Amino acid sequence: MTWIHPLAPEVEEPADVLGAKAHGLVGLGRLSLPVPPGFVIGTGACRAFLRHGRLPDGLAHELVAAVAELEAVTGRRLGGPERPLAVSVRSGGTGSMPGMMATILNLGLTAEAADGLAAETGDRRFALDARRRFLASFAAATDAPVPDDPLGQLTAAVAAVFSSWDTPRATTYRELHGMPHDLGTAVTVQAMVYGNRDRHSGSGVAFSRDPTTGEPVPFGEVLFGRQGDDVVSGRSLTQPLRVLADREPAVWAGLLGAMRGVEAHDRDACSLEFTFETGRLWLLQVRSGGFAGAAAVRVATDLADEGLIERSEALRRVAPEHLRYLRTPRIAAVGEADVLARGLGACPGVAVGRLATTADTAARMAADGPVILVRPETSPLDMHGLAAAAGVVTARGGPASHAAVVARAMRKPAVVGVADLTVDVAAATVRAGGRTLPEGTLIAVDGSGGAVVVGHPRLAPAAADPHLQRLLTWADELSGDASERPEAQRLRAAHAILRR
Amino acid sequence: MTRPGSPLVTGDDLLVLHALRCMGFVSLARVAEATGLPGPEVESELIDLAVAGLATRVGGDFGGWGLTETGRAADAERIADELDAAGTRTVVAAAYEGFLTLNPELLDLCGAWQLRSAGGVATINDHDDPAYDARVLDRLTDLDRRAEVACADLSAAMLRFRRYRVRLAGALARARSGALDFVTDSTASYHAVWFQLHEDLLATLGLQR
Repeated sequence: MTWIHPLAPEVEEPADVLGAKAHGLVGLGRLSLPVPPGFVIGTGACRAFLRHGRLPDGLAHELVAAVAELEAVTGRRLGGPERPLAVSVRSGGTGSMPGMMATILNLGLTAEAADGLAAETGDRRFALDARRRFLASFAAATDAPVPDDPLGQLTAAVAAVFSSWDTPRATTYRELHGMPHDLGTAVTVQAMVYGNRDRHSGSGVAFSRDPTTGEPVPFGEVLFGRQGDDVVSGRSLTQPLRVLADREPAVWAGLLGAMRGVEAHDRDACSLEFTFETGRLWLLQVRSGGFAGAAAVRVATDLADEGLIERSEALRRVAPEHLRYLRTPRIAAVGEADVLARGLGACPGVAVGRLATTADTAARMAADGPVILVRPETSPLDMHGLAAAAGVVTARGGPASHAAVVARAMRKPAVVGVADLTVDVAAATVRAGGRTLPEGTLIAVDGSGGAVVVGHPRLAPAAADPHLQRLLTWADELSGDASERPEAQRLRAAHAILRR
Repeated sequence: MTRPGSPLVTGDDLLVLHALRCMGFVSLARVAEATGLPGPEVESELIDLAVAGLATRVGGDFGGWGLTETGRAADAERIADELDAAGTRTVVAAAYEGFLTLNPELLDLCGAWQLRSAGGVATINDHDDPAYDARVLDRLTDLDRRAEVACADLSAAMLRFRRYRVRLAGALARARSGALDFVTDSTASYHAVWFQLHEDLLATLGLQR
């Protein structure tokens, strides 16, 4: 085949052909880790599509053959009335462009196939939910009616993913991140695994180490009975990854084994997106590294101590930019603090103050000392409260929400997307983690790590971080200069030696 | 009241009432800027609204003019009536669709203006790299052009929406001429005006955020 490659261990095409996502999945396959069967339409087909405005000659034939192969492997038929095969159709270029391009789930679930799925599983509700998600994701991606035949659906979906490379938002993203515009995206087509299948199904994301602190403990979140897009959207209430240890021990053990395997192979911390269907684990995406700040320092020194990398490599992995966190206060030992909830850090820094649930009360209370404004989300009507507050917490929204933009504009430490948080304005209370706090309670927000803590926590003098001190000692040994200098300078001196 | 084909003109009292609905607690000067009405006229409207129990002025560092609960309810009713009377619900709903397509990109751009990735770490953009800032502003200019198209029908149907075009274009022009505050930071920044337009479309259509 010219355009299409199987998702198989023997595939040797590089990431600029397969896209980073499929390239990672092939790597997982080589480690004998569970990846749903599928194939990849390479970036070359996307470039041809964008050049000529239509799918390249020969791709249609290859699609038929690849689908037939997938049907043989799974023992299912795409859109078949019995034991139907449904597939996910996902974008994936050489570089990560999260959320910028189209994704279609449950493709092939025609009305007839959904009946087949209902009969097979004995669960009509599940089958209809899966069909509904197909229709919604197809409509969002294509703006066109859904073809009746499943192969027509697949062709339209592939074209839609290719087209989404050139949407204004994706173009803006590449422009802002200095990514080339002419590479195109690959399309990964895989047999669906259903996180919404039953009580023993779900989706989540797992980190081999805590992405906030770098501590070598598995970290992440899981959502039972849902497909992966619900986890990423931040609209649903996730649970800490650890609950899997009791509820789905086999999935938990599988994840731990997978993370160990990937770490040993890539010699770096990793994260996995996963789905489990009826107690069986499947890996949908892998990423290596990507930790920042204190976590990057901790991971690099720990990996050197564990013998996975040399000390020189540990030094190489920590860019001087990672040390900027030294000037941003953090909550010390979050593990010991009274954590109310966790969200996404949207503006770095720590603020401590009394809880207010409306902008009006925040503006009033601010006369008597610092206030933390806690809102479901923010609108322009909250602006005077934001101006009055020392810090901000919102239940909804991500780092690119109006609330986050405004908090950063005002330089207020902010935590957004605290899904577990309910603000009861009438009762002037906030509920999270099974607790109810009245207005006026002293709380603290850490806009770097995303923690919301009850009381006045101890703040960390970041420079005293023992892992950083170890790393800097290694740096001094290498540069042969132990004089008193700023941390970033000590690191830069070591980097200069390493570059020779 | 209106000739077919000409935009609906909102009365000054509703303009001021609705500006407060979309802006929260603000100074008289900011209401004047948002509505495009002269300051003394705005003040007289605000006093009338206060007398009617619809608006109130709160003192203190973070105070200003804002709506009472009654004022909020009155605005919802009058804005919905205006929409029905003008028969422009379809136009506004379509404009809102167009707005929602652009909104994630605008937020991406604001995020990129404030934070940039350095060595894989998101750090505060301290605006010491004019080439990077120019890239963001070029994309913002491109988005603004598309926003103008999306909102053209809206302004043609209801005159009060035309003010957003003026304010957005003004903020962009000032940012491009070196006033960096006019992207995300100032109360008259591109993001601040955009955020109010978002609130206005929701309020006009009677939708929740």
